[in-house]
Amino acid sequence: MANIGILVMSSPSASQNASSALRLAQTIATSEHNLLGVFFYQDGVHNANQLQVSASNELNLYAAWTQLATIHACPLLVCVTAASKRGVLSQLDASENDSEHFNLSAPFQSVGLGELAQLIRNSDRLVQF
Amino acid sequence: MSSSSTTGAISNNIAVLNRAAPYSGCTAQDSLDFIIAMSNFGQDINVFFSDDGIFQLLKEQNPVAITRKQFTKGLAALHFYDIENLYVCSKSLSDRNIDEDRLNIPVNLLPPQEFYALLKQHQHVVTF
Amino acid sequence: MNYSFEFNGTTINTDKAGYLLNMQDWQPELAPLLAQQENIKLTESHWEVVNFVRDFYLEYETSPAMRALVKAMAQTLGPDKGNSRYLFKLFPLGPAKQATKIAGLPKPAKCL
Repeated sequence: MANIGILVMSSPSASQNASSALRLAQTIATSEHNLLGVFFYQDGVHNANQLQVSASNELNLYAAWTQLATIHACPLLVCVTAASKRGVLSQLDASENDSEHFNLSAPFQSVGLGELAQLIRNSDRLVQF
Repeated sequence: MSSSSTTGAISNNIAVLNRAAPYSGCTAQDSLDFIIAMSNFGQDINVFFSDDGIFQLLKEQNPVAITRKQFTKGLAALHFYDIENLYVCSKSLSDRNIDEDRLNIPVNLLPPQEFYALLKQHQHVVTF
Repeated sequence: MNYSFEFNGTTINTDKAGYLLNMQDWQPELAPLLAQQENIKLTESHWEVVNFVRDFYLEYETSPAMRALVKAMAQTLGPDKGNSRYLFKLFPLGPAKQATKIAGLPKPAKCL
């Protein structure tokens, strides 16, 4: 059994990477291995934008991440600086920056890079997308 | 997808591989933030440059002309974060016709074979 | 929303947390005012750190995070001053945060 962390640096739409990350995460979560968490950095933070609308006959990646977190208690961690820069804000980030709107909510969490350091420290394997 | 782990790891530390030019997007800047954060939180970290990543190390940079700040100056401060060695792939330099004396900071030049052998010794490799 | 205050007849713009938006607006006379917002009364020891942090920024285009501040100060000013206990005594809410603010530098990235 291995402890595995996933690092997503790609947006949902620019490549297949984010979908592949999700599929690996789902597979790990239902295997004998332990999925410690998914960290979103760089353009990967767009995955946490709850204002994504997809056609009903296509994969709703946002819903799938949410489901992963709910069913498998897998933390979804988002770098606060990378996300704020790209217009993905939690309620707290929004109020700190005088923005009326926010679009990052649970199960996604707006966190510092210290959480990534911890995820890496605890992972036997880190897989980057 | 790129696998960021290696088998047969001999130490529990992180390598950052920089392959992106400094001002094409904010990849390189995010990498520097990542490096500083990992050091701040007590992780052992080594920094590698290959491909277009070596452009981050050039002396002559004037990004103000394209309204960017010269964040690459921060690379010269990495030794304050106990990051003493910056490893550079010598072939990436020669492929781009760049001599070592055009680099802004002292680096360890390694031929590709040694460069990748060293990279492989890390438990985690994060690529920017 | 805009945040600003008047100083010697000019308007100084800040962010919501009180950090100067333009570091060029900074002048030594402004520092005690910024320090006051942090409930700090500037002494010679504070000034040494404030100037150190500002010089660091001017050279490296980035404010030193705690680990770098400690090491850089130790190198230049000796281990008595380059240690986190000394720095936290001067800047109780975080030397990296408070000294950069008083030095007129941008707010450090939240994720660090």
